[in-house]
Amino acid sequence: MGELLKIEWLKIRRYTAFIVMSLFFIVAVIATNYIVFSVNNNMANNMGNAISMMSFSPYSFENTWQTTSYATGFILLLPALLLVMLVTNEYTFKTHRQNIIDGLSRQQFISVKIMLALVFAVVSTLLVFVTALCFGWASGTNFSLHGIQFVGFFFLKAITYNLIAILIAVLIKRTGFATGVFFIYLGGENFIAKMLDLWSIKLKQDNGTDYGSLGDYLPMNAADGLLSFPKNPVTNMAMNFMPTDYIWAILPLALVYLLVFYTWARRKFIHADL
Amino acid sequence: MSILTIQQLSKNYGSLKALKEVSFSVPEGTVFGILGPNGSGKTTLLSIVMDILKATSGSFVWMGQENSADLRKQIGTLLETPNFYHYLSAQENLRIAARIKGRGEADIQKVLELVNLYQRKGSKFSSFSLGMKQRLAIASTLLGDPKILVFDEPTNGLDPAGIAEIRELIKTLNKNGKTIIMASHILDEVEKVCTHVAIIQQGVLKTVGSVSSVMHQSADSILEKILVELSANDLVALQHILTEMGGIENMVEAEHELHITCSSEITAEQINQFCFSRGIILNKLLVKRKTLEARFLEITGKQSDK
Repeated sequence: MGELLKIEWLKIRRYTAFIVMSLFFIVAVIATNYIVFSVNNNMANNMGNAISMMSFSPYSFENTWQTTSYATGFILLLPALLLVMLVTNEYTFKTHRQNIIDGLSRQQFISVKIMLALVFAVVSTLLVFVTALCFGWASGTNFSLHGIQFVGFFFLKAITYNLIAILIAVLIKRTGFATGVFFIYLGGENFIAKMLDLWSIKLKQDNGTDYGSLGDYLPMNAADGLLSFPKNPVTNMAMNFMPTDYIWAILPLALVYLLVFYTWARRKFIHADL
Repeated sequence: MSILTIQQLSKNYGSLKALKEVSFSVPEGTVFGILGPNGSGKTTLLSIVMDILKATSGSFVWMGQENSADLRKQIGTLLETPNFYHYLSAQENLRIAARIKGRGEADIQKVLELVNLYQRKGSKFSSFSLGMKQRLAIASTLLGDPKILVFDEPTNGLDPAGIAEIRELIKTLNKNGKTIIMASHILDEVEKVCTHVAIIQQGVLKTVGSVSSVMHQSADSILEKILVELSANDLVALQHILTEMGGIENMVEAEHELHITCSSEITAEQINQFCFSRGIILNKLLVKRKTLEARFLEITGKQSDK
C-alpha cells in the first residue's frame, strides 16, 4: 500500500486544485477557530462577568478538543470536495483505465483511493489536534486531555465525509455532476435532519418521548451528531426541551454507515465496466 | 504457443450485443490485426481482455493464465486515446506508469528517446499535439520492454511521416520477438503490418487466420480477382449498367464511387468501353490487385472506413 500511496502522491502533488485547496483548508481551520476564539474573548472583555454565560471559555483545555473539532467539522467539505475532484478526474482523463491497463488491479485502485480518504482524514485530525493544542495554550488554562474523544469523533466525521465523496465520485464519474450531487445530498440530508430534529423536540415536549435527535440517525448526520458545541450555560438552559444525544447509539450507527459507503464504493468499482 | 486465447466471448449492453461469442487465438510472435469497421467491437474486445470491461459471457487466457494485474504489467497497451494526467509532464506521466509496472527511471529515458520525445520530457501533456500524445502513449506501452503489445488504432492522429514511423516501429518490435495485437479500421495499415488478421463485423468474428490464408479463403483464387474502383457523375446509372456486365461478382457503393470485384480477365479498357457504349463517362477507373480490402469488403459486404 505504501508504494500505491507514493504513486498517488505523484499524481496529486502538482495538481493545482490540490495545492490551493489544501492551503485553503489549513488557513480555514485556523481562521474558523480564531474567529470563535476572538468573538468569545471580545464578548468576555466587553461584558465582563455580568452574564454568567461569558464565564464559559470554549478553548480552555477542558473544552478546546471539543470546540476545535466541532468548529472544524464545518469545513470538512473542502477535503471531501477535493476527493470528489481527484476521483472524477481519473474518469475524465480516463487514467483509471490506464492505471488498470498498466497493471493495477481494480482492488488496488479503489483501495488506494479509500486509503487517500483515510490519509486526508488523518491529516485533518492532526491539524485539529495541533490547532486545539495551540488555542488551548492561548486560553491560558492548564493542559488537559479532557474531551479528547471529540478529536476521535472528528476523525470519524472526516472519514465519513471523505468516503461519501468517493462513493459519489465513483457513482457519478463526472466532476461537475458529482460535486453538484454531493452538495445536493449534503443540503438535502441536513434539511431532512433539521425537520426530524424539530419533530424530536416536539415528541419530547408533547409526549415526553426522547429518542434523541432523529436527524442524527441519517448517514452523514450520524457522524455530525457526535460533535456538538461544548456544554455551556446557554445549552444547559435548552437541555430540558432538547432531545438527548445518545452517543452509544449514534457511534455504532456512524460506523455501520461508514462500512456501507466503503463496501458500496469498492463493489461498484470492482464490478462495473470502467 | 498461444499468447491470447479467447473463447466464446460475448458482451451485451442491454439489448445491444457488442460482441457475439467471439473465439480465436493469437499465436506467439505474430502481428495480429483485429480488423473491422468503426463500432464493430474491436475496442470492446480489447477492453475486456485488459479488464476494463466485464464480459457478459465467455473467457480468455493470456499465455495460458487467468488475467491478473501482474500479468498486465507484462503487456504494453494503448487502448483508444492516450490517457494521461493533463497537468503533468510527459516524464511525470511515464513515471506513474513505470511505478505501476515496477520499472525505473532508466526505462523512461529510453522509451522517450525511442519515440523522439526526450527533448519534450518536461512539457505538460496538455501542451502536446495529438501526434505527440499518441507517441507518448506508445512510449508508455514500451516501458519494461514487454513481450506483448496491444495497440488500438496506433496511428490515430499521426501525420503520414508519423504513421510510417509507427509502422516501422511495429515491424521492428515484431522482428525483435514481440507479439503485437493491433486493432484497426484502416485496412491498408493492417495489410502492411500484420501477419495474422481477425475480421469482426457487428460483434461477430467473420474470419481469422494468417493474412494470406484469409485472402485465400475466397471461393476463387486470389490471382483470378481484381478490385476496381470507379465513379461517374450518375452513380445510380453506373451501378445499373454494371449489373448488365458479365464477370462482376461483388459490387459495393462507397463514398461517391463503386468498388467492384471481378475476374482478372476483365481489363480496364473493357470496363471503360462498356460504360461509354451505354452513355456513362467514367471520371475514375482504378484497377487494383485483390487486396485485403477486397477480401474485407467481400466478407463484410460493406464499405470500409478508409
